Amino acid sequence: MRKLIERRTTPAASFTAVALATGLSVVLALVIGGLLFLPFGANPFQAYGALFEAGFATWRGFGFTLVKAAPLILIGLGTICAWRTGFAYLGFEGCLLVGAASATWFSLQVAEGGAIGPLPFAVFLPLAVLVAMLTGAVWAGIVGLFKSRFGGNEVITSLMMNYIAIFLVQYLVSGPLRAKGELPASPRLPQETWLPVILEGTRAHAGILIAMVAAVAVWLLLLRSRVGYELVVTGLNPKAARYGGINVGSRQIIAALLAGGLASLAGMVEVLGVHHRLVDGLSEGTGFIGIVTALLGKLHPLGAVIAALLYAGMSVGADAMQRQAGLPASVIFIVQSLIVLFVLASDLLRYYAIRWPSTPCRPGRVIMTEAGRK
Amino acid sequence: MESDLVLSTFLVAWLAAAVRLAGPLLLSALGEIFAERSGILNVGIEGTMLIGAVASYLVALQTGSPVMGLLAAMLAGLAASLFLAWMYVSVQANQVVVGIIFNILALGLASYFYRLFMGGVSGPQKIVMFEPIAIPFLSEIPLLGPILFRHTVFLYAVMLLVPVAGFVLYRTKLGLRLRAVGENPRAASTAGISVSAMRYVGVLISGAAAGAAGSYLILAQVGLFRETIIAGQGFIALAIVIFGRWNPYKAALAALVFGAADALQLSLQLFQVGLPPQLLLALPYLLTVIAMSGLLGKANQPDALMMPYRRE
Amino acid sequence: MAPFLTARQIVKRFASVVANDRVDFDVGRGEIHALLGENGAGKSTLMQIVYGQYAMDSGEILIEGQPARIRHTRDAIDRGIGMIHQEFMLVRRFSVVENVVMGLDAGKGPMVDLKAAAVRLKELSQRHGLQVDPWQLVEHLPVGVQQRVEILKLLYRDARLLILDEPTAVLTPQETEALFCVLRELAADGRSIVIVTHKLKEIMAISDRVTIMRDGRVVASVKTSESSEDELARLMVGRDVSLRASKAARPAGRDVLRIEGLHVADHRGHSAVAGVDLTVREGEILGLAGVDGNGQSELAEAIMNLRPVRQGRVLLGDIDLTCASPAEHHRHGLAYVPADRRHVGSLTDLSIGRNAILGRQGAFTNGMGLMDEQKIAGFASGLIERFDVRPRNPAYIAGKLSGGNLQKVILGREVMRDPAAIIVEQPTRGLDVGAIEAVWREIIAQRDAGKAILLISAELEEILNLADRIAVIYEGRIMGIVEAKDASLASIGMMMAGAGQADADLEKAS
Repeated sequence: MRKLIERRTTPAASFTAVALATGLSVVLALVIGGLLFLPFGANPFQAYGALFEAGFATWRGFGFTLVKAAPLILIGLGTICAWRTGFAYLGFEGCLLVGAASATWFSLQVAEGGAIGPLPFAVFLPLAVLVAMLTGAVWAGIVGLFKSRFGGNEVITSLMMNYIAIFLVQYLVSGPLRAKGELPASPRLPQETWLPVILEGTRAHAGILIAMVAAVAVWLLLLRSRVGYELVVTGLNPKAARYGGINVGSRQIIAALLAGGLASLAGMVEVLGVHHRLVDGLSEGTGFIGIVTALLGKLHPLGAVIAALLYAGMSVGADAMQRQAGLPASVIFIVQSLIVLFVLASDLLRYYAIRWPSTPCRPGRVIMTEAGRK
Repeated sequence: MESDLVLSTFLVAWLAAAVRLAGPLLLSALGEIFAERSGILNVGIEGTMLIGAVASYLVALQTGSPVMGLLAAMLAGLAASLFLAWMYVSVQANQVVVGIIFNILALGLASYFYRLFMGGVSGPQKIVMFEPIAIPFLSEIPLLGPILFRHTVFLYAVMLLVPVAGFVLYRTKLGLRLRAVGENPRAASTAGISVSAMRYVGVLISGAAAGAAGSYLILAQVGLFRETIIAGQGFIALAIVIFGRWNPYKAALAALVFGAADALQLSLQLFQVGLPPQLLLALPYLLTVIAMSGLLGKANQPDALMMPYRRE
Repeated sequence: MAPFLTARQIVKRFASVVANDRVDFDVGRGEIHALLGENGAGKSTLMQIVYGQYAMDSGEILIEGQPARIRHTRDAIDRGIGMIHQEFMLVRRFSVVENVVMGLDAGKGPMVDLKAAAVRLKELSQRHGLQVDPWQLVEHLPVGVQQRVEILKLLYRDARLLILDEPTAVLTPQETEALFCVLRELAADGRSIVIVTHKLKEIMAISDRVTIMRDGRVVASVKTSESSEDELARLMVGRDVSLRASKAARPAGRDVLRIEGLHVADHRGHSAVAGVDLTVREGEILGLAGVDGNGQSELAEAIMNLRPVRQGRVLLGDIDLTCASPAEHHRHGLAYVPADRRHVGSLTDLSIGRNAILGRQGAFTNGMGLMDEQKIAGFASGLIERFDVRPRNPAYIAGKLSGGNLQKVILGREVMRDPAAIIVEQPTRGLDVGAIEAVWREIIAQRDAGKAILLISAELEEILNLADRIAVIYEGRIMGIVEAKDASLASIGMMMAGAGQADADLEKAS
């Protein structure tokens, strides 16, 4: 008697197998999410429908989606650069914050009466990008240096650096950058430095364009350039990289600089595009959700962009749903994270093959017996 | 004379607060020690704490009993960590990825269940909390008494758990096996120890402890639930484990240091001292970064930490 | 009386490879039994089946005549079987006594009584002459003492059968002698002992009986006293030569690659290469023969500076490459085909094209720093064409290639940079006959083109077929260098098993 389910020695790696496993994960997560709507007396199909409509199908909602997607894309790109190089960096929350802080500082310098004085936006923006990226690069570079030169554990150090960044921002908004007579926050940034709105009648600002440019740049760099090749090789197999004459330590540092630079752009986009000032509690987990969307996008720039847009749209839709129908937006957090967890778990599924009992008896097929083979 | 009095009053108040604030950190760190000693870096304790917090709040509100709240939190923590252990040990997914995503899932779950049960209720509902109990005689000792012996039963239990954890880890078969699995799973396996079983045990202990630690914030500190109540305390527990070199007694000291820094910045804000309080808050993290940077040599982490093991 | 252990008709397959093919094996009480064979002969697999680490596909195991189901290590331990692996199974941060009792269920209740265990351990160590301090941390003990701990671990569980996998590989001659004393005494005590080894001298010194395995089968089982080193060597390596490579005689040219007094440490910091001098000449294949784990990998890695050199020099022509980076080695014309095709030599997740340029990515980059995809595709197609890689698709993922095709990609890549010297390590391990012939042909073609080739191989057949000169490495030292035309299988085999060249020559003369 043949077993219906057999264990494979290696997971099935065909496109069908992966697609099937991923599809199953998404469906399962959506079903669980749908069930969670029931206690609130809502029809899951209608709830999902309303959610997607609010996030993607209305002009205003779409604008919000783009606003939410921009920092997620940038964090996701940072994740791709770091993780593909084998640098398990988790400090994007911190990079985002220091990027936001330095962009704020720079923006205040070009205000009337600032140290630099007014600049045309076309001059200001590239400089602001540079300032933010440098700050983030240094911030993540420290962790990169610790790992590549001293063998430090980047998982823990980068997690801890997030908190140092939180306290740094708290200090800045309650001390050196604090606006007079207000809650702990920096002064409002000069309007000339705000990212312009790109879609009439929405909040969508130029941040999404910056994110798209960055995505193309990362795609070119990582998948089409020599440096990218060396980064990917380092991440896939450090032994083979060293054998191929690649300096593994220096590539890890490059990855850290890139990751930090990209993630800090997310911070810049948030202050110049959304908040228009530096405040405590600016991030609320964007640095972690960006990692998740990058993973959902299989650590590919295009995948990360799509995953970030979907994620952002679902969050916007969920917020709208909560406001209008009183359904909990948290369901969407649950669905989103369950998808990733199930995709991870489905790897286990791919270790199993289903053998339909009918297969051995299919007519017209000759089955060799053990003896017949000899 | 008077300034001496002020100083000693301040010291006592500060250190008593330090001990109180260290409680939940220490509790989840003690659990995490078991997970990490078995070779699993359970980053998911941050989320598990939040799940414990919401479970304890809802149950304590329904039953009016903080003890029931604590039990519910531990059960919720166990359930959460059973899923985590399955992902870590059976699926062998990347531990950091699973932990990070689980924390987001937990945020969703906690917020969902809070809304589900509290959605119609207007205004925050305070629950019955554990009350401080001064231990006779001991609490009368000058300085030490008010610092250590005028706390809740919950905190005394946490204090007691330090030697208990030490005993289990270093004096029992379970502890020996758990540590063996975290150091050299192949060697442990050839000696007849089930690596998977030990790792499940480690993660489950960390889950129960994190759930209880989450309930501590509700039942012994705040009395109310909000989604930001954990605010990274699970990650601080990770740092405490490293600082405490995976040893319960040293972890207790490390938790005190973190608690003291936290308490000090609260006092400093009251006293309007020139030092930015954030510097003090950041100090423990800064020290952790330096400890893990490799600058001071390798921290003695378990050899097989974060290494999946598949039996041949 | 039934032997302590009887294994009947054991079969074990790994994917397509038959590691144990209907193996019969038995060990009597009080017997010291040597299990002899080359790498991959299946001896470790057999022992791991007996110890419950692998499940056999068919066959049966009897203990004292009774059928025994051994499915887990725990079952084996309960049946009185103990195994000491080549790599010690010790927890370095545990004390000796913790290592000994871990996993045991002795004593009532959930607690471990380390003090009582230490007392019993002390007794045992005194009775068997295995001096060790129960409270010392294992990581602070020298290797010889760690082995004592492993033996004590088995004695503490009162093992009746002790399996030792290559026990002397890490020991000095003095430590080896001490170990043998202990083993003889344990055998006298009625315990059975299996030593898995390839060292003939030691087999002659210690064992009562020898079972020889080759290609997963038992070739012979003989009484040691009725055999000789010579006969055993022949049984171990003397298979029918099934492959022949033809090569024309060719005078070697000037010295190209010189290795002078090289000392290298392994990953544990122990000496792996101890003063190796070698010279490889233009248009010559120097074969470095030796059983695996005698310092060959460390030597190759040190030459490429993938592993630090403790002492000595590596010269390519007049250039000292000892401290040069791996990239500089490539630039100056030293190529390397590593033994581990899938984990070092290639990137199994990337395409053939991406693998073909590993190490020379600079040459395929345009002025903008971007990869020149057309040039890469053209180059990869050329490589595929020239070395007959199947499938003929540069975008094919390298990890899905068969071992032989993957090796062609790696060898082709290294050859196509036109180096002056090539180090080729275990080039045909695990390949089928057709692929072996292709790889051999290419190596000979490179020699004929004037390259200096250092061929490191554990396959004597390969060495004898390809090499112009043969050096034999044993425990990090060169035992001798002979012209290939003067070499015999037996003499090389003797050197591989640790007998000096002088001994081997004597053997031949007699």
